[in-house]
Amino acid sequence: MDEHKLSRRAALKIGAGAAALAGLPWMNSSAFAADELRAGIAGFNVINTLDPAKASLVPEFLVIYGAFNGLLKFNEKMEIVPDLAESYTVVDPTTTEFKLRKGVKFHDGGEMTAEDVKFSIERLMDEKFASPNRGKVTAISAVTVVDPYTVRITTKAPYAPLLNYLTNTRTGTQIVSRKAVEAAGAEGFGRKPVGTGAFMVKDWKSNESVDMVAFDGYFGGKPAIRSVKIPIIAEESSGMTAILGNQIDLTSTAPFADVPGLEKRTAEVTVLKQPGLNTRYFALNVKKAPFDDVHFRRAVSMAFDRNVLVKAAIFGEGVAIPGVLPPSLWPEGKGFTSEYTTFNPAKAKEEMAKSKYGAGTEATVIIWGSNWWRRTGEIMVGMVNQTLGTKFQLQAMEFNAAFAKAKAGDYDALVFGWLGLVDADEYLGEILGSKGFRNIQGYSSPKMDALLEKARSEMDPAKRRQVYREADMLAIEDMPVLPCFCSNVHNLVRPNVKGFSQLPYSNFADQFAKMTVG
Amino acid sequence: MARAISIGRVSSRLGGVALLALLGSATVFFVMRAGQGDPAIAVLGDQATPEAIAAFHKKWMLDDPLVIQFWRWLSSAVMGDFGLSMTVAGGTPIMGLIGSRLPNTLFIGAYALVIAVSVSLFAGTISALRHGKFTDTAATSIAVLGISMPDFWLSYVLVYGLALGLGVFPSYGFTPPAQSLTGALYSGFLPALAIAAPMAAAFTRILRTALLETLYRDHVRVARSLGYRDAFVFIHFVLRNALIPYVTVIGLQIRYLLGGTVVVERIFGIPGVGALMVDAAFGRDYPLVQACALTFLLSVLLVNFVVDLICAALNPRQN
Amino acid sequence: MKAIIANRLALVGAIITAIVLAGVIVGPWLSPYSPTDADFMALLDPPSGSHPFGTDSFGRDVLTRILYGARVSLTVSISGVLAGALIGTTAGLVAAYFGGWWQAILMRVSDLLFSFPSFVLALFLMVVLGFGVVNIAVAIALIYAPIFARLSRNMAVLVKDEPWVQAAALMGQSTWSIITREILPNIAAPVFVQVALAVAFGIVIEAGLSFLGLGVQPPNPSLGSIMADGREYFSRAPWVLTLSGVAISVALLGLNLLSDGVRDLMDPKLRARL
Repeated sequence: MDEHKLSRRAALKIGAGAAALAGLPWMNSSAFAADELRAGIAGFNVINTLDPAKASLVPEFLVIYGAFNGLLKFNEKMEIVPDLAESYTVVDPTTTEFKLRKGVKFHDGGEMTAEDVKFSIERLMDEKFASPNRGKVTAISAVTVVDPYTVRITTKAPYAPLLNYLTNTRTGTQIVSRKAVEAAGAEGFGRKPVGTGAFMVKDWKSNESVDMVAFDGYFGGKPAIRSVKIPIIAEESSGMTAILGNQIDLTSTAPFADVPGLEKRTAEVTVLKQPGLNTRYFALNVKKAPFDDVHFRRAVSMAFDRNVLVKAAIFGEGVAIPGVLPPSLWPEGKGFTSEYTTFNPAKAKEEMAKSKYGAGTEATVIIWGSNWWRRTGEIMVGMVNQTLGTKFQLQAMEFNAAFAKAKAGDYDALVFGWLGLVDADEYLGEILGSKGFRNIQGYSSPKMDALLEKARSEMDPAKRRQVYREADMLAIEDMPVLPCFCSNVHNLVRPNVKGFSQLPYSNFADQFAKMTVG
Repeated sequence: MARAISIGRVSSRLGGVALLALLGSATVFFVMRAGQGDPAIAVLGDQATPEAIAAFHKKWMLDDPLVIQFWRWLSSAVMGDFGLSMTVAGGTPIMGLIGSRLPNTLFIGAYALVIAVSVSLFAGTISALRHGKFTDTAATSIAVLGISMPDFWLSYVLVYGLALGLGVFPSYGFTPPAQSLTGALYSGFLPALAIAAPMAAAFTRILRTALLETLYRDHVRVARSLGYRDAFVFIHFVLRNALIPYVTVIGLQIRYLLGGTVVVERIFGIPGVGALMVDAAFGRDYPLVQACALTFLLSVLLVNFVVDLICAALNPRQN
Repeated sequence: MKAIIANRLALVGAIITAIVLAGVIVGPWLSPYSPTDADFMALLDPPSGSHPFGTDSFGRDVLTRILYGARVSLTVSISGVLAGALIGTTAGLVAAYFGGWWQAILMRVSDLLFSFPSFVLALFLMVVLGFGVVNIAVAIALIYAPIFARLSRNMAVLVKDEPWVQAAALMGQSTWSIITREILPNIAAPVFVQVALAVAFGIVIEAGLSFLGLGVQPPNPSLGSIMADGREYFSRAPWVLTLSGVAISVALLGLNLLSDGVRDLMDPKLRARL
């Protein structure tokens, strides 16, 4: 009881008070050990598998980044650099050869060789394995082991996205231990992953927490942090209260609304932020009235103000974008403007006059997910109705039901978005290509498909970007989706934690290796 | 003291419980399947390609007729095997999942109950004994205020006020009782309080009225006039009688109490069955929803059974 | 003495409830603002003369939103509870009067519903049925139907054996008229008290569901959805969560005091039989 009183008085004295909790009995000593990191994944509630080939959800990858490595990775400038590969050479337009690092150990002690690389990628390619990430490797025709430290990847045709798809991002191409997979079986490996990363999964309580410990055989050297506790925090706002109350040291996200306030509380928390690799839009069902009319789609697009969305839905934590691609994938980082994605009530009405539909047109816009995300739909519907006199309605659903409807093509319009994708093909190709699996709009344009095909086989990055610019412009002409904005990515870090470099695709556990807890 | 409850009565009661559990499982199963959504989407998320969805359905045999699926579930459930989680904890045994979380939920529930009962015993007794005086009015008013604070709202008041404002309790996280009992009592205090406040209020009111009613009964007056000490009379004649409606109401409130854990576990990040069921329902983890629902159902039935036993013990004349 | 206190509390409750009802019914007409139309020039304005409760993230007047929201919450809760009372009371009366298989089946179904924690049942139904006001009302009805079923059955079983009911049966009154004319009036009072209590809990359930994002469809407000919104930007505009929270507490306070007072005025024994 005395102890309690003491802490309380101390707490009041220093104002924040969180530090005073250290003396309380419930905190076991390890919670404050200088070499333990408490890194909360906030805003998500389920990690279903930690097998990169099976993983699909964002929180799964946040952990996988730390337990595995890809052949390549992104550095702090978002340039592709070798990771498990030591170097790579483009042999001919369809063949790339990777020299592997020697002496890289898996968590089980086995050495990583070309056989493991071949196994990992072929496993992903296997149709029967039905990996959700299979799309990344369908262009590959063969993975050949030249010698234990050399592997060649051959594609059916020149394939520009290949290198991006071999990085340690949401690709599923992280290298797994062949021996461990064969010993554990597909299901077992997902629970007990064996990779080459700086941290090993020690304990994992589903939808509760993941515990990791340092892997001293890590090829990048012994990590300073010895163990990591990763609580999975369902509510984003709880993640914020947890870090303010000093129950965690690092978060994977921050609530948009709280960012300005948190930026002022420098004594307790540091806010890291930058424009993210993501895109938020409204998918329109082009096979169904009223969005089967391109003029009507354009009219709707000009009838709401994207800057208001940024201001009111995400409290300024992002930028309005004219097309589908996020700004960091624009040629030379330069944007463009299009009248079709600029708020202009007069032009919007003019455009509607050209369409089959007029004022009073009804449509249902499906919204889902967290509050700010729903608000995006609410604002769009409100402004469009006001500008065009339409009778759009909102329907709130939860993700599962909304996505099931989208997949079935049973909707008019739906708020949507993708995050953490690193290649332009994942945005334009998969969202707008007639066979793209993110294409829920039913949009199909031979012209678009030709452009996308051209971009995929264009090996010169600068030229490739120009082709995507063309495709993005065509997308705005046809307007199968209403591009809206690209939001910032955030991490909250306690001041005593150093060494976390934020990357725009929402990285996380990949940084633990070089972090310290002071 | 307590009258022996006949074995026949208990076994017929257990039969009723089994029947309800069966009915409940079937209802949850078929209602869940009739609803919208797909577990494959929960697992595959935004990467759900048609092939991956088909493979998932095949793996979990979701394309079989519903009746066959239910029979498959039932026949193993009867043997104590609740299968594997589909989407929340892909491929892990459900028994283990529930087993590790149930103690936390029961702990928070019991903690809240203890707070509610002790507060109400104290406040209810005081306000009945001082009835009409200031203490009574104060206690009654606080009780009514308590019942007007829904748990999720009170949770936020507590998080912002006590945890972040004063820094006296953790704003998030929970130390399981198995790991450290003091830790669990400390980190579970705010969530338990959020659930307990409305309960305490309801219990106080019922106890006060029940006490007032018995205080003026003839046998109590007689006992007093015979010269028994006040405390003796109060405990043996008044409290004992008043406890029957009190305990009955506690039994009735159990389903609100367990319902309250669902929200509070989510806000405070307590790994309990309530939070698990929310995730399972959203993730369409059919077998896990089944198991969670059954767990809650059995808990409520069990508590009601215990309440009946207590009432029978308190009042041997009934039966 | 006791009656006066009960009366005084009931009176306070009645006054609060009357004010809440008046605000909910008349308030929206008096407000110059729309509860749904955004004003992007006035985002998150703190309370002031023109917006006594401030504005929300859409620049909408929070007071107007609360008045409309309370109307939605109350309507959902009342219709859910009334539906539950109707179904439950009917089931209870039928069970009590006909007994036998009727009683076995109806009371078993009622036991089943009663065995699920209330919020778990509500949440489960929202996920399965989808969101929206009608489904919330259905959830509330299903939560309360078993309470009314038990209450009315237990009361009716007692009343059924009273001599005047027996006499009515002997005199050839139809079953229907016995149930409606002889039994129902005698159990009406406790059912009414239960309705008032249930409406208060119904509001809590609606708010809890909306708070988790499972409730009323936007842009329509409900007390819970305003609170959910306010919680999101609490650090920036604390008035939204605080004032909507206070509003819900006041409404609950009124209803609780009223039902409490009324109950105190009646036979306290009925609670024991519940």
